[in-house]
Amino acid sequence: MKVEGEHLFTGTQQQVWDLFRDTEVMAAALPGTKKMELIGENTYEAVMNVRVGPVVGEFSGQLVISNEDHPNSYTMTVDGRGKPGFLKGVGDVILTNQGENQTLMGYTGEVQIGGKLAAVGQRLIDTVAKSIISQAFETLDNALAERVSAEAEGREAAYRKSSESDYAATVAKDLIKNVLKRTGSSEDS
Amino acid sequence: MTYKVIGKRVKRVEDPRLLTGGALFVGDVNLPNMLHAAFFRSDYAHAKIKSIDTSRAKEIPGVVGVYTAEDMGEAWEPGPPLVSPPPTLEGVVFNSRRQVPLVKDKVKHAGEIIAVVVAESRYIAEDAVEEIFVDYEPLPAVTDLEKCLEPGHPLVHDDLDTNLAAHLVQNKGDYEAAKKEADLVLKRKFKLDRGAAAAMENRGIVVDWDQKNQHLMVWDTTQSPIPIRNGMATRLGLRTHQVRVVAPFVGGGFGPKIMMFYAEEMVLPWLTMKLNRPVKWIEDRKENFYATTQEREQVQEVEMALSKEGRILGIKQKIIHDTGAFDPYGLTTPLNTQSHSMGGYDVQNYNSELFVVFTNKIIVTPVRGAGRPQGIYIVERMLDIASKELKLDPRDVRRLNFIPKDAFPYNHEIIDQAFVELILDSGDYLPAYEKALEKIEYDKFVQEEQPRLRAEGKHVGIGVVPFIETTGVGPYEGARVAVEPSGKISAATGVGTQGQSHMTSFAQIIAEELGVEVEDVSLVSGDTAEIHWGTGTFASRGAVVAGNAVLAAASDVRKKVLKLASKILETPEDELELGGGLVRVVDIPEKSISLGELAVLANPFRGAVEPGTEPGLESIKYFGPAYGATAFGVHGMILEVDPETMMIKIHKYIAVEDCGTMLNPLVVEGQIHGGVSMGIGNAYYEKLHYDENAQLLNASLVDYLIPTSAEMPHIEVYHENTPAPNNKLGTKGVGEAGAIPVPAAFAQALENALPDFNLEITETPLSPNRLFELLYKSEE
Repeated sequence: MKVEGEHLFTGTQQQVWDLFRDTEVMAAALPGTKKMELIGENTYEAVMNVRVGPVVGEFSGQLVISNEDHPNSYTMTVDGRGKPGFLKGVGDVILTNQGENQTLMGYTGEVQIGGKLAAVGQRLIDTVAKSIISQAFETLDNALAERVSAEAEGREAAYRKSSESDYAATVAKDLIKNVLKRTGSSEDS
Repeated sequence: MTYKVIGKRVKRVEDPRLLTGGALFVGDVNLPNMLHAAFFRSDYAHAKIKSIDTSRAKEIPGVVGVYTAEDMGEAWEPGPPLVSPPPTLEGVVFNSRRQVPLVKDKVKHAGEIIAVVVAESRYIAEDAVEEIFVDYEPLPAVTDLEKCLEPGHPLVHDDLDTNLAAHLVQNKGDYEAAKKEADLVLKRKFKLDRGAAAAMENRGIVVDWDQKNQHLMVWDTTQSPIPIRNGMATRLGLRTHQVRVVAPFVGGGFGPKIMMFYAEEMVLPWLTMKLNRPVKWIEDRKENFYATTQEREQVQEVEMALSKEGRILGIKQKIIHDTGAFDPYGLTTPLNTQSHSMGGYDVQNYNSELFVVFTNKIIVTPVRGAGRPQGIYIVERMLDIASKELKLDPRDVRRLNFIPKDAFPYNHEIIDQAFVELILDSGDYLPAYEKALEKIEYDKFVQEEQPRLRAEGKHVGIGVVPFIETTGVGPYEGARVAVEPSGKISAATGVGTQGQSHMTSFAQIIAEELGVEVEDVSLVSGDTAEIHWGTGTFASRGAVVAGNAVLAAASDVRKKVLKLASKILETPEDELELGGGLVRVVDIPEKSISLGELAVLANPFRGAVEPGTEPGLESIKYFGPAYGATAFGVHGMILEVDPETMMIKIHKYIAVEDCGTMLNPLVVEGQIHGGVSMGIGNAYYEKLHYDENAQLLNASLVDYLIPTSAEMPHIEVYHENTPAPNNKLGTKGVGEAGAIPVPAAFAQALENALPDFNLEITETPLSPNRLFELLYKSEE
């Protein structure tokens, strides 16, 4: 499965870079993340609860950051496994300065899935992946705003963690959007 | 007057039990003290096992044991090679690699079993499976039929330096010489993909080792109980009489249930003997997608040489056949493809090169049709395409090429799945074809209906496809028939029953022979305690091979009845007749004796019998044909395509079948209906989607679409009768017929329905999605 897209952040390239390289923020942004720990140089160990339609279960695995070109790009490799199957992905993240306080984050990647996740979750995985990503961006936007204002005010940033119910709501919203798109009854792009 | 019941539309005697829940299925078998097994299956299609941790699973209360390959010790061995390559063909390469009970070192397809949990309940066993941890080293999967033979490609079997499972060439005449004479040489590539058999009842096994009696009792959803019994005894070091296998009522076989031995069939007997307790396993639907064999994946390059009149001068073919990770079933399926690639046509020059390849996909063994639909698909598609190129009526092209009636027996001069020359025993194809055209009102449709509907903006098309079905092959089958002291008849045969109505149609044969009512015959099929020899239910051979064995045994009992009755009634045998459960003197009907009385007299408790006399009115007989009986049929359909959704509606469906003598037309028609529904699935709905990692992406009945009653048309079935000359009943098989021509007929009808597109269909199964893509592509 191919994953690609882009998102415009309000912040400098350095701020966005720092955001992405902050384990706590990333763990908060990905719904269902139970644990994310730095276990070696650029290597994280993560435990994440995944819910794809009828397929539910915990995934554990490693996330490795490589090809780091500060503050422009890096490669992320994910290798996770759990009762619902397995997941393996490689993706590139590229940040580009889009003028004052605007940073475009572009990502492309290839994800392999297997087991129940592939067999039963296949028809939903696309929507779910998009939902996870859009949910993550929403959280990251908020986190970035909080970070920027905290920095300006000289206080500690307080993040709101994305909850699983937020995520479930996003999935439901995206699924309905897809159905409406298919039946042609929505103007939504 | 002789009593006639063969050929009558007798209602199925097994139905009352089936319809009222009174029939035993393996799932109904529950024994005291019984344990339940659940399997840990690999998510990966191709991976080395680095370690297996079952410790947490073992700690769960109610778990009796968790076992891996290592625990099996000496008992671990791969399944037997079920079918060898034909010894009658020269130059065959065949690399035999068989499935294993539990994976030792490397997983070769998703769903392979790595560990088994035995617990007090299935719930506990399933929970424990979730606690097993296997550390894998994933390997690149082999999935692409065309690329997998390239040097340097990853290997399914590391001990082979290739993914080639088999290679052979079959040749008839001289294709290259024929090609030089041709006005048209057509070349096309075809892709035929996988589907599931998806029987309503999944597989299941219950095993019970009785330590004190030293006896193993097995209930198994197999199509082949006697070979399972024989194989289990051998594997376990028991004598055959220590093992009894019962295949009770089985909810659909369709081929995969004749695979032997499935891993579960190797593991469960070992478990019951190890634990001294009965063990049960019933396959769930998801397991069925990964653990039960599948079929039909091939890539074919086909060349057909024709004269400008449309006469086939020769066919050249390269088949790459996917056998999945193992090849226990030998070459049966691709040999069937070759046997059907010339169809019912007089083709003098044929050259076919077959490559069978290993991939990291689920094992391939025959599924209803068993290679035949692929052969019929390519020959019929080529004729349709040739008709367009030569601007000929596709009907005339077929008429011109049919094997004429006086050419039978017709030798296709290649080796078939029974290892003998493919000889079509009998047939009369042209009249059956004309009948189909007449019944579907072909002329009226193309001249009146189609133009009228097209004017209304409707996309309607017609497809009519003839096909042969090689059936009734050897080696042999047996039957036991006995008159009980009650006068009722008991009978047994080794072919298991998965819905074929054996209990009715075989009873009809016996009833007619012995002059009793069908209801008075009780037939057991699929219990090794009832008959010792047999092979199984496959290759559309029940009515031919088992049917004629039943006839032979019943005839022998009839002889014994007449001999004894003649002595007792003091009347010559030729003056006696059987009827109403009695033997009567023809001229003096009141002078008679019942079959029951004769049975008692045939088994005296005291006194002396004549030397050489056998007790009872019983006989066991066998039937084995030199070569098969080949059936013929023509299916026609009129369908409409919705140009927006690409959904299909079949307006009319007709089938003309010639399966020789029909034992029971109701049963024949039921087989056709079932086969057609499977064929419609194969043509337009049922496709197993594997990704490039050999992951199955639609392993549930939500995503894998089986036609429902909503997709099924009303089917009109008509019959022709060319009795098989090589068996007494004159029967030919019909069990797979329905599924064979449908994808080819579908393709023809779709092209006919969409004349504005440059549509040429060379693949199956299609789907609304895929048809949309093809139309979009053809517009470009």
